[in-house]
Amino acid sequence: MTHPLLSLAGTRTVLFDGALGTELMARGLDRGAAPELWNIDRPDAVREVHAAYFAAGADIVSTNSFGGTSIRLAAHGLEARAFELNHAAARLAREAAPAGGFVAGSMGPTGIFLAPQGPATEAEFVAAYAEQARGLAAGGVDLFIIETQYDLREALAALKGAQSVSRLPVFVTLTFSAFPRGYFTIMGDPAARSAAEAEKAGAAAVGANCNLTSEQMVGCVKAIRAATSLPVVAQANAGQPVPAADGTVGYSQTLEDFIRSVPGTVAAGAGFVGGCCGTNPDTIRAMARIIRREEKS
Amino acid sequence: MTKNEIFPKMTEAIVAGDRKAARALAEEAVRSGLDLPEVVEKGYVPGIQKVGELWEQGEYFLPELITSAEAMKAAMAVLEPELNRKGVGARMGGKIVIGTVEGDIHDIGKNLVASMLQAGGFEVFDLGADVKLEKFIETAEAVGAGMICLSALLTTTMVNQRRFIALLRDKGLRDKYRVLVGGAPASGKWAEEIGADGYAENAVAAVKLAKSLAGHS
Repeated sequence: MTHPLLSLAGTRTVLFDGALGTELMARGLDRGAAPELWNIDRPDAVREVHAAYFAAGADIVSTNSFGGTSIRLAAHGLEARAFELNHAAARLAREAAPAGGFVAGSMGPTGIFLAPQGPATEAEFVAAYAEQARGLAAGGVDLFIIETQYDLREALAALKGAQSVSRLPVFVTLTFSAFPRGYFTIMGDPAARSAAEAEKAGAAAVGANCNLTSEQMVGCVKAIRAATSLPVVAQANAGQPVPAADGTVGYSQTLEDFIRSVPGTVAAGAGFVGGCCGTNPDTIRAMARIIRREEKS
Repeated sequence: MTKNEIFPKMTEAIVAGDRKAARALAEEAVRSGLDLPEVVEKGYVPGIQKVGELWEQGEYFLPELITSAEAMKAAMAVLEPELNRKGVGARMGGKIVIGTVEGDIHDIGKNLVASMLQAGGFEVFDLGADVKLEKFIETAEAVGAGMICLSALLTTTMVNQRRFIALLRDKGLRDKYRVLVGGAPASGKWAEEIGADGYAENAVAAVKLAKSLAGHS
């Protein structure tokens, strides 16, 4: 049976949410604190952000578990609480979801490198992501999204980990930079090969998030589209961060700049769109208008 | 092997990230009594420079950069004791204190910059991640560093780079150190705005910048 979300994607462009961490910080999350801790300490704030994204028109929100592998949590001394924090992350998003709203269990990078560049082994990664996926699945996610990955090997280990504990669909997005020769992760994985390998390994959708502006994202989506038959996910940054004199941080793309490339991203083949750094519920509301308008025409 | 034979091999070992070859060639240079500062300058440094160019062209990525920096370290591990024994400092670049600012646990980029600075001839004191601002100053004072490099990956922690400059000023030490900032949200404009001495977009650019600020290229 086809997953309801993938069926939906067969009929129209599906909208993800935007940035989560900055929304939590706007509600008082301390700099440098583990955002996942708020799933226990400030559940109302987390639910409120999810609800704001759903209200803005998002079909799917990503859980507050981006740094929720035990390896990542260890940097905060929270590694023993991985299951609990992920479980809570999923539950909060679930509680905020209206009927027909979907919850994606966010799984971001561990922050350490695999050998030979770093100390980690593939088996350690598989185990850490499996544990995270177990917590997210138990908390009620509809799917997993392995995101912001900069090493295809880590993305594939995460996919393997999720698959080892759950049969829910797994989306995989990597973070690419634009080079004269195309789109590559910092480890040198080309966008096309990354998509093809994730598909071969059983991902339900593949794509790109973070770093690229919405304008650059169009080309990246084209490259991915050409390499896979899977639905393509695109969650661009609103440009580059620009610190203001008062200590706040803006982004180089205005809302208008950002959304201008949304039709192009969809035309290039993205079936799932959303936002990454520098986006907020206003961004998603504007994207929802564009997407729904295009459907009507 | 003559110098003209061995130098290109050294360069190639670094470009290829061949740690074994880089070390073996360094050992051979020591055995044959070659002029070691010249070995570093004409054998190995052009290799790491070439790696930097390939990175800038988008031909090399992190894995290549890391293996090349490791090869450079392997060669320097052989050459350094010899150079020190002869009273010629191997670390002509000077001393640099580096770390990721407090509140920020991201250290991949900072590690790479530290590694490349070391490969580039600097003596590097890496304080790790989530480093208290006072700790940068204490260390720099203690080891006699001339440069302090602050990394921040988050838009929310980069403000600590600004706070650091203020802290240096408060202590009357601003003119004593060159302060370099880096990390995803930082920029040349940011460096200028907070009164840092420079910004580098990546590890390769960081070495260039550090060398130019240290007064040699």
